[in-house]
Amino acid sequence: MQASVERLHDGTQEAYRHLAAKARWVRQTVLEMAVKAGSGHVSTAFSQTELLVALYYGGILRYDPQNPKWAGRDRFILSKGQGGIGLYPILADVGCFPLADLDNFTGRGSILGVHAEWGIPGVEILTGSLGHGLPMATGIAQVGLMEKKDWLVFCLLGDAELYEGSNWEAAFFAGHKGYPNLICIVDRNGQGTLGYTDRVAGPNDGPRLEPLDQKFAAFGFETRVIDGHSFAEIFEAFADVRHRTTRKPLVVIANTKKGKGASAIEDRRLWHYRVPSGEDLERTRAELRPGSPA
Amino acid sequence: MTTTKPVLGMRDAFFEALHPIVRADQNVIIISADNGAPMLDTFWQTLPDQCFSVGIAEQQMIGMACGMAFEGKKVYTYAIAPFITLRCYEQNKLDMCAMNLPVVNLGVGAGYAYDIMGPTHHTAEDIAVMRALPNLVMFSPADGVTAAALARISYECRSPQYIRFDRAGIPNLYHDREVEFTDGLALTRPGRNMCIIATGIMVHQALKASERLAREGLDVGVVDLFRLKPVNEDLLLQHLADVPRVVTLEEHRLPGGLGSMIAEIFVDRGLSTPLLRLGLPDVFVFDLGGREAIWENYGLDVETIVQRITRWTGR
Repeated sequence: MQASVERLHDGTQEAYRHLAAKARWVRQTVLEMAVKAGSGHVSTAFSQTELLVALYYGGILRYDPQNPKWAGRDRFILSKGQGGIGLYPILADVGCFPLADLDNFTGRGSILGVHAEWGIPGVEILTGSLGHGLPMATGIAQVGLMEKKDWLVFCLLGDAELYEGSNWEAAFFAGHKGYPNLICIVDRNGQGTLGYTDRVAGPNDGPRLEPLDQKFAAFGFETRVIDGHSFAEIFEAFADVRHRTTRKPLVVIANTKKGKGASAIEDRRLWHYRVPSGEDLERTRAELRPGSPA
Repeated sequence: MTTTKPVLGMRDAFFEALHPIVRADQNVIIISADNGAPMLDTFWQTLPDQCFSVGIAEQQMIGMACGMAFEGKKVYTYAIAPFITLRCYEQNKLDMCAMNLPVVNLGVGAGYAYDIMGPTHHTAEDIAVMRALPNLVMFSPADGVTAAALARISYECRSPQYIRFDRAGIPNLYHDREVEFTDGLALTRPGRNMCIIATGIMVHQALKASERLAREGLDVGVVDLFRLKPVNEDLLLQHLADVPRVVTLEEHRLPGGLGSMIAEIFVDRGLSTPLLRLGLPDVFVFDLGGREAIWENYGLDVETIVQRITRWTGR
């Protein structure tokens, strides 16, 4: 654990190894927080891990952990508020609040709830009910544009969150306005609470989201589809976000796996809000231990 | 009588008073969900950079407004009352109220103002649902003078707000008298035997009922409660201190509305003043024929109000 902000984006294998170690540490920390609290969305935190690690440790996101309200920061909106447990270790590690606070996740007197709450240093807005982040992000982007600010608005959405219609009201508007400063990321883990988004194999499986990139493109977004667990692809996708020439909002659809890195839960049903225990827990701990195969 | 011929509708009176405020402060933003008003056209013509139209998309309107307020803007949103309250209720609850952002929702068409448009456009539960939201400040003006005063009051208030306007064609009550609008209520007419507490257009009905009751020997006062949340309880109870009976009158369904609000205050304060709640029954209204027909069918016409009150007093 290091409480410093690494700015690594030289594309070297060493840098990727370092980020992979961070990702492993984040997953370990999430797991132990959830086990201790008996609560937390482990699988969704695991699908977004590389994305957040790249944003926060890889120099993509501009922020000041000593001053989370710094006016020049990029606004990072965790619209999939249930991913809070996966963001907190990073915010603590970079210095927004003490690492010790992680031990009291959801506990009495803690600032860290199941869903990302307004008021946690480094968390911008209250989320947890889906479909709220993107509409608010358009308002923030509008102000950034009007006032000629050079900060960006990043909005991390869950893919099953996109069933909420308010996202598409916002997409309409964002595409119409062509916000160049709005960067949406879809954690495309293919699952909601109970069902898959595109398999249609069980009673809880939702309507198909595909072709998702075409849907966003039709709304006026520039779209990029990547492997959301590959640092190389993530960095490539975000390399030009500060000097894109198209006057369109960008959406990066990051294909991920819910529960990535833990074979007991990876891409399986019924792990949305479930904490591993018994054999599953020991297996997950073993897989996340440094030195075990990634 | 205090009424005169209809003047500028309360919504337009509000916008007229708001215009110089918005012109003087570029941090004030107006967002409309495809809803217009004659006075609002002036904003689009003169302050285009401060006006946005999101289309018929109330969730987006409130979410965007909250995003802009989060970045330091003071935002007014505008739509028909049923849609700016319930269609985007969760945005009102979480984005606006839980984050305590300075967004002012302007809803036009309180009660049965959109009379012949059916339950989709009636707004007979907005008081109940909106007052359930912490941090919210709610206004319900009864005339254009009050509405105009609310432009400055809403601008200076940093809380999330909801202002419910009636449509055009309502006479002014306060054009020739001084009212302290920051008080949140006005003793529009004093009376020794009884007080009717009303809000919005029902203040006018209360005044008419009071005139009728005077002929029957009852001296009935009227309180115009134009700030519904928070209620200025101390001032209200001062006005009610020597009144033996209290009536509430609202063009809103009874559960959770103005009458409920006053009953709660009475219970919490240990007051045992007899209270009669007049409002709409717990039904959806599909009746056509206009607002007065609805009032007659559901007991909010002056005749029925007078009858209910006289029967209640045992006269």
